[in-house]
Amino acid sequence: MKKLLFILIALTFFLPVEAISAGNPVKGGNLVVAQPAEPPGLDPTANTAAAIDRVVWANVFETLIKVDDQGQILPGLAKEWNISTDGKVYTFSLRAGVKYHNGEPFNAQVAKWNLERAMGPKTVNPHPEYFRVIESIQTPAENTLKITLKDVDALFLVHMAEGDASMLPINGYKDAKSHPIGTGPFKFAKWVRGDRVELTRFDGYWNPELPYLDKVTFRFISDASAQTAALMAGDIDVIGWIGSPETALELAKDKRFKVLDGASTSDMILSTNNKAEPFNNLKVRQAMAHAIDRKMIIDLAMSGFGTPIGSHWSPAAPYYADMTGTYPYDLEKAKKLLAEAGYPDGFEAVLQVPPKYAYTVRVGEVLVDQFSKVGIQLKMENIEWGQWIKRIFLNKEYQLTIIGHAEAWDIGIYANPKYYFQYDSQEFRDAYAKALKAPSEEEKAKWFGETQRIIARDAVNGFLISSPSLPVMKAEVMGWWKNYPTIALDCTKVWLKK
Amino acid sequence: MTRYLVRKLITLIVLLFLVSITVFSVLFVLPGDPAEIILGMNATPETLANLRAELGLDRSFIVQYANWIGSLLTGRGSMSITYDVPVFDLILSRLAVTGPLAIFAICFAVVISLPLGIYAARHQNQPGDVIVMFFTQLGLATPEFWLGILLILLFAVKWGLFSAGGFPGWSVSFWGSAKALLLPSFALGVIRASILTRLTRSSMLEVLREDYVRTAWAKGLRERTVVYVHALKNALIPVVTILGLQVGQLMAGAIIIENVYYLPGLGRLVFQAIGQRDLPVVREIVLFMAAAVIFVNFIVDLTYAVLDPRVRLT
Repeated sequence: MKKLLFILIALTFFLPVEAISAGNPVKGGNLVVAQPAEPPGLDPTANTAAAIDRVVWANVFETLIKVDDQGQILPGLAKEWNISTDGKVYTFSLRAGVKYHNGEPFNAQVAKWNLERAMGPKTVNPHPEYFRVIESIQTPAENTLKITLKDVDALFLVHMAEGDASMLPINGYKDAKSHPIGTGPFKFAKWVRGDRVELTRFDGYWNPELPYLDKVTFRFISDASAQTAALMAGDIDVIGWIGSPETALELAKDKRFKVLDGASTSDMILSTNNKAEPFNNLKVRQAMAHAIDRKMIIDLAMSGFGTPIGSHWSPAAPYYADMTGTYPYDLEKAKKLLAEAGYPDGFEAVLQVPPKYAYTVRVGEVLVDQFSKVGIQLKMENIEWGQWIKRIFLNKEYQLTIIGHAEAWDIGIYANPKYYFQYDSQEFRDAYAKALKAPSEEEKAKWFGETQRIIARDAVNGFLISSPSLPVMKAEVMGWWKNYPTIALDCTKVWLKK
Repeated sequence: MTRYLVRKLITLIVLLFLVSITVFSVLFVLPGDPAEIILGMNATPETLANLRAELGLDRSFIVQYANWIGSLLTGRGSMSITYDVPVFDLILSRLAVTGPLAIFAICFAVVISLPLGIYAARHQNQPGDVIVMFFTQLGLATPEFWLGILLILLFAVKWGLFSAGGFPGWSVSFWGSAKALLLPSFALGVIRASILTRLTRSSMLEVLREDYVRTAWAKGLRERTVVYVHALKNALIPVVTILGLQVGQLMAGAIIIENVYYLPGLGRLVFQAIGQRDLPVVREIVLFMAAAVIFVNFIVDLTYAVLDPRVRLT
């Protein structure tokens, strides 16, 4: 028996490594995707919850612009666009003949209506500011959309590629919360509340080649061990975003499954109240930055998955500037800075973590230990998510908390002194304004880099890690996105190997 | 009996009224309102105000409470904020899972515990009794979720006999749905059976020492008659009390087991609704649960009367 085992083990070493290219996509098949959170409604333009975008955006709803798994900007409902030399006028040529799942046509008028709805006074769009930079919208031809901006906005295009800018139909938009109708490759079939959302192939999709799958089902399984058991029992095909990285490690060893270790836009930070004692002292924040060992956080709390960050920017995104060296892990320096700040023996503070996001608790435990080495004694408290939003985020009644900022391109939050970090820097605001108005790619890179440098230097928050994407799936699932440059779980090009 | 029913009905109404005020006030002062949760980390004062107006949260406590009670009295009820369907429908669809789950679990519990408890009592301190007591002790110490996961690993992952969870829906597949409830109800039932077995045993032992049982033996009645006809009926009274409590608890939803088996039951619904601050759902489920517990207690009272004719319902 032992001998047999030995032979088997020896054999596995000599087996050829499975080819990465898996051949040509085949059509057909059903895919079942596990998702931890059930979306609160299915309208991405009315609610900020990431769970909504994960299910419907890119699958049911589309935007003018698309982003691929490498973060590259691609044509979506707009097949091409050009930007005037002053950077203020965007002319989109829309795809002709695009139909909604209910038969309504998509054209420039519909796009205009969507944009005006998002920026209007009664908007409940989570991001009306994305659209309010628009001065006027013209529709010179059926499929030509001409948008004039009040001012140059370097992020306008990427904002048009986010779920908030989804294009809803004029007649069919009213029930979007419970019966979404879009132009995407899949149409909404059924929502069994508490259990699953079913999407089926839309035969009238503007790209006749796509999608490959006949049906996609999103099942809502919040418990991490239940997700794993369901995958192992064959009930589901993909865990879109695994809750426990150590399970990913286990599943990666099993040949029936594969784990994609990609990047996401989620920056996990130790959010710090810059107006609260003693964190209003730059030296204290610098000392804390020196006391954080990101490698250890990744190893202990994330089972080795994740990438260190030194500022509020994902390494996978364009214009990334590496700031991880600003305050290297150095306990002596940390202690010295604390002494200079007037806390030679450290201090006590409260770290509040929302257990709704399990990683905050895990990372929190590691941080408590790391800070104790320089005399900073953190008391870790659990806080329910609703209270987190109210007390920490809106009322700013906190000292420290941990959270992943999931949105891409969100460094602008540091320009708002009323944001819950309470960071107030004219220097940053100037740099950010320059970045937004940068006329060229070089200038953009320069000024977005500068914004990253300023907040890294000011140690506004403890910049920890960029969260891994970590989708786990059956080996035959092909075309699943490795990186998550957006919060969508785009199934357009996913297929099943027979 | 009529007087009893009328009294029960009045209690029910008064209690539900008190529950409605309590649950409404508690949720009203709870930090974090639905609009804040919906907008989350993107909330701006303007969008918050718009959404609050849309959800009717900008009105005063009294107006909101009156609107709610009004909608209940007219039988419409409120709409779920997150699901966008009437809360009544939501509760009904969840009851289609939680109800059968509770019934299956109680069936398992009763079928396991009564024979074992009686057996253990009849063989007090003999090896059989010791073994039964050992396993009930083990059952009491076992957390539900652990047993649930263990069953999944064995029956779903290893042997592939069941799916690891989920619920297809009665209209989609009747047998599939029944099968989906088997493992979770077994996990729930086994643990409840441990308590009931011990209770049946001790209650039985007590009754078996009563004078009337000795008389029955002395009359020369067969063991079956003595145990099952004379003793069991009286021994069941405390068992029924606990069983009633358990049914009440199970109807409120078995949150942990529902999570492990990702069943769309009432427990998960209320848990999720609290997290999302879907206040209409939380309020109406709490009301419903209060009513359910009162109703189960009523059934228990009726059962007492059947088991013990000395109990009069007045």
